[in-house]
Amino acid sequence: MPPRRVAVTGIGIISPLGSTLQENWDALSHGRSAIGPIQSVDCSKLRFQNGAEVCGFEPAKHFPGGKEDQLDRFAQFSVVAAREALRDSGIELTPALRENCAIICGSAVGGQAAIEKGFEDLWVLGRGRVHPLTIPKTMANAGASHISMDLGLSGPTYTVSTACSSANHAMGQAFRMVRSGDVEMAVTGGSEAFFTIGMLRSWEAMRVVAPDTCRPFSKDRRGMILGEGGAMLILEPFEAARARGAKIYGEICGFGMTSDAHHLTQPTVEGPSRAMRAALRDAGLAPEEIGYINAHGTGTPGNDPVESRAIRAVFGAQADKVGVSSTKSLHGHALGAAGALEAVATLLAIRNGVLPPTANYLGRDPECDLDYIPNEPRVAKVGAALSNSFAFGGLNAVLAFRAIA
Amino acid sequence: MSDPVAEKVIATLASVKRIPADTIQLDTNLQDLGIDSLDVFSMVFELENAFQISIPDDDVRSIKTVNDVVEGIRKLLAAAPTGASPNSAPTPAS
Repeated sequence: MPPRRVAVTGIGIISPLGSTLQENWDALSHGRSAIGPIQSVDCSKLRFQNGAEVCGFEPAKHFPGGKEDQLDRFAQFSVVAAREALRDSGIELTPALRENCAIICGSAVGGQAAIEKGFEDLWVLGRGRVHPLTIPKTMANAGASHISMDLGLSGPTYTVSTACSSANHAMGQAFRMVRSGDVEMAVTGGSEAFFTIGMLRSWEAMRVVAPDTCRPFSKDRRGMILGEGGAMLILEPFEAARARGAKIYGEICGFGMTSDAHHLTQPTVEGPSRAMRAALRDAGLAPEEIGYINAHGTGTPGNDPVESRAIRAVFGAQADKVGVSSTKSLHGHALGAAGALEAVATLLAIRNGVLPPTANYLGRDPECDLDYIPNEPRVAKVGAALSNSFAFGGLNAVLAFRAIA
Repeated sequence: MSDPVAEKVIATLASVKRIPADTIQLDTNLQDLGIDSLDVFSMVFELENAFQISIPDDDVRSIKTVNDVVEGIRKLLAAAPTGASPNSAPTPAS
């Protein structure tokens, strides 16, 4: 079977920017940041107090009858986003399609919140035992498994865990399975929820979280801002989507992945640039066809200059003509869900012709010399875009998207 | 109902399934409350905390109705050496 084009026909998202696609787009397209004081954990003794939390999420509304107790928050985000993506796609699930649908999810830390509670019971409160659902709530595949059970989808189902590249790796795999004809449909994305004192303390210890806010590529940037959330996409063959008259947000048309083989936390220029080249090659796109890059752009002193050099290495003189923004300045860094939130931002940007800005930008850093769409959204017709994710451990995953003409 | 054991069992089941306690009777089948195998784990965990007892795995497998739970706990309380009572609050173990 020749490779098929792959359409995105459904989106579900719960992020700090909102719990509907419209709320997310309103915030992205106006550059409205959700970063603020962390409410769910007492951070008064931490070196940082700000984060990007999902507010107003009521698990009991989505999982009545006590069912909410069976899912960690990260898995709740997975299921709610997947339900919405499926509804949004309007796809009619036949028995054959249910068996031929992949579910591939990304999550960096899975249900760490559940096991942290168990350990608190054990060691802090001296209860001598932990809740019996600690294991099934903690396992990183819980999100994918709950989607499968909730929606009655029984094809290939698994979770990819590659730190901050998890969602991009997951969506890349799903894209290739649909493209090759392995499956006829995929639910794919990522989810993360790790706002617990233990996880926040662990991030504090890495000294990469900003005490103020996230200012990717900007002078005076001081680090990342942690976020949470989940987003799921429905992928299906382009022709099938067209045939049923589906709304198509855009195409995933390429995927590239590499490893730095270098250092746990220090990125290289070569690894990310090879991943971008691989995604372009996979998509059959020339660099000059790319009009927007949703950057990994964490806002750390380490990532941003290296990513800028990597983009310049791939795009050459063309690099000055590509709009590059980091929407982490708006929704924070949701680790294994980051790529999924950013895929949504990228798809909507090329569909709606508005590029979301890099918020909180104060001015030029000599080491970051690209066009970062500072602070103000930009109206631009873009035919194709990349979305970068680069993980601790040196694992790089880049997706290429194409607008529907 | 003036039976403190039954009252506490019913309150625990109601809390696990988020349903009103007055919908649960002694002869109610746990399955009819929508209690599946995972809910049983949660229910047993909460009951062990509430009564300060340890419920053996074999006893867990044999329960079918609310009354099975109540009677099982009554037996465990009767066999408990000291400290366990229907009204004992969960306290941290040393």
